Amino acid sequence: MNAAQVLNGIALGSLLMVLSSGLAMIYGLRGVTNFAHGALYMVGAYIGYSVARHLDFWLALVLVPLALAAIGVLLEFVFFRPLQNRSHMEVGLVTFGLALIAERVVVLIWGEKTLSLDPPAGFSGTTSLLGVDYPTYRLGIIAIAIVMAAALIVWLRHTRTGLYIRAASQDIETAGIMGVDVNRISLIVVGLGAALAGLAGALAAPYISVDPSMGDKFLITVLIVVVVGGVGSVGGAMAAGMGLGVIQTVVTVWSPSVSVVVPYAALVVVLLWRPRGLAGRRTA
Amino acid sequence: MTVTTAGGVTAAEAVPETRQRSRRGLVIGLGAAVVALAAGLALPYVADTYTMGLAADAALLGLPALGIGFLARHLGLISLGHTAFFGSAAYGFGIAVTQFGWGPMPSVMFGVLAGTAIALLMGVLVVRASGMGFLMLTLALSQALYQLCVQTSFRPLTGAYDGLVIGLGSDTSFLGLSPADLQDPGLFWPVVWVPLAVGLVLVWLVGRSRFGTTLEGIRENEERMRFSGYNTFAPRLAAFVLSGFLASLGGALFALNAAYVSPDVLGFARAGDSLIAAMVGGLGTLVGPLVGTALYVWGEARLNSSANLHLYTGIALIVVLVFLPGGITGTLQRLWKRVKR
Repeated sequence: MNAAQVLNGIALGSLLMVLSSGLAMIYGLRGVTNFAHGALYMVGAYIGYSVARHLDFWLALVLVPLALAAIGVLLEFVFFRPLQNRSHMEVGLVTFGLALIAERVVVLIWGEKTLSLDPPAGFSGTTSLLGVDYPTYRLGIIAIAIVMAAALIVWLRHTRTGLYIRAASQDIETAGIMGVDVNRISLIVVGLGAALAGLAGALAAPYISVDPSMGDKFLITVLIVVVVGGVGSVGGAMAAGMGLGVIQTVVTVWSPSVSVVVPYAALVVVLLWRPRGLAGRRTA
Repeated sequence: MTVTTAGGVTAAEAVPETRQRSRRGLVIGLGAAVVALAAGLALPYVADTYTMGLAADAALLGLPALGIGFLARHLGLISLGHTAFFGSAAYGFGIAVTQFGWGPMPSVMFGVLAGTAIALLMGVLVVRASGMGFLMLTLALSQALYQLCVQTSFRPLTGAYDGLVIGLGSDTSFLGLSPADLQDPGLFWPVVWVPLAVGLVLVWLVGRSRFGTTLEGIRENEERMRFSGYNTFAPRLAAFVLSGFLASLGGALFALNAAYVSPDVLGFARAGDSLIAAMVGGLGTLVGPLVGTALYVWGEARLNSSANLHLYTGIALIVVLVFLPGGITGTLQRLWKRVKR
């Protein structure tokens, strides 16, 4: 094992971190397990691919989160808000249906083929770090993800909206009684969660190839990350995402067969040992 | 096919779902089951091979759906992991034939046993969870099995992504059917219809029994049941294993019929499809999951060329969840009650 493999783990962990924080926020607020999160990530990757091909990669990193935030707002208005008094289970399964539809729609637009995207100019080579030559683009992913994660935590902890989100995640009814506009908070959270999923997709496009099953592949891992981190806890999900990314990549070097079981084993161990997840019910 | 099996389906649906454990209800129910069983057995004489193929597929996938419906109805637990039992049983059958060189009958038994053993193991880990936790745990554990199954290190056993071709010796026979007969849907039909009908009656009887009532108590309020002096873990585990057993039966017979197993039987798509089919049919009624599965198999055959099946299943799932709670059979039941009043 060398530094490059550890960095690979951190790069994978960075993507998991960005993806799972959005999922954890939506779960914390609406109590809904968003099975469409993997689909949002995939849609983000496809839109990012098209924007990068026709316009510019850096523009994609701005446009994709905006486009996905719009989709998130749509989800909130069409599904989450009208169905907020239904059981969380039913709403979760509605998102499962949405994921199936999104996957087919993507195939109808972009086709079934695997697409690949080159990293942007200036990021296509390698950089010497810790004595190894490492792809610059992956270092870029790590940097962007860490900045995003830090910004999100600071935002949740030190702004008024962040305070409202934490309050509503703790107890949505009480927060509403205390005068927090819960619908507005939910709109922000779902929009932001979708935007983060889109950002993860756009970042992943030049790193992992773009294909219609990429959402499903990540969805289960991300769901596990959120449960392991403590359902609804953004900080817990980030830590668990990074940890799982590193552990899985490092174990792959040692034995690929064992590494595929790592997330599942982590899930079972954590749920038996700490059923509420590593972070419990703290939002940030 | 929908026309021909509708006779069997409606006959079973006539079973009154009352909570009174009256002797009369029992006699009517068992009578209806015998009629449905006989009507089903007569099916190959009136239906063509294509229809019989669909009917056999629906019945094979109906067994796990029956298990999913049982858990949902009596414990309120929604499982996305029944592929694990279905798939383990299918692979168990395949491995018994290819590795141990066993005949079809002991291999089917081995497959069912393997699937049920997986259900027992998984049940110990998951039945304490409820709601979304249960769904995610069953999904995660079944996907772990999928991941293991496609690993190159398991290639000698499972064939990894290539799947497993199960060549039964031409001199072997299963209940008097040669390996070639097993692939003929008309001849294979009784092999799956009888277990399905028996399974249906079994689930119905269990639901009416004292055990079924205990399960419903646990579903309504697990804590209160525990305070009332009931052991709530063992009944949940038993229900989970029964449900897994039904799925295993389906899986072993599926492999027997197809003579081939691919990792798809353990995959995420299959897990989602079987749950959606059961929900569209209606998890609240005994036959709902079977109706949904039959519809799904029919739809799959109709849409085979366009590959957009998931577009429609996704839409169907959302429509049912948002507008028709209780699925097709649940909605029909509500309408029927309104008409009667």
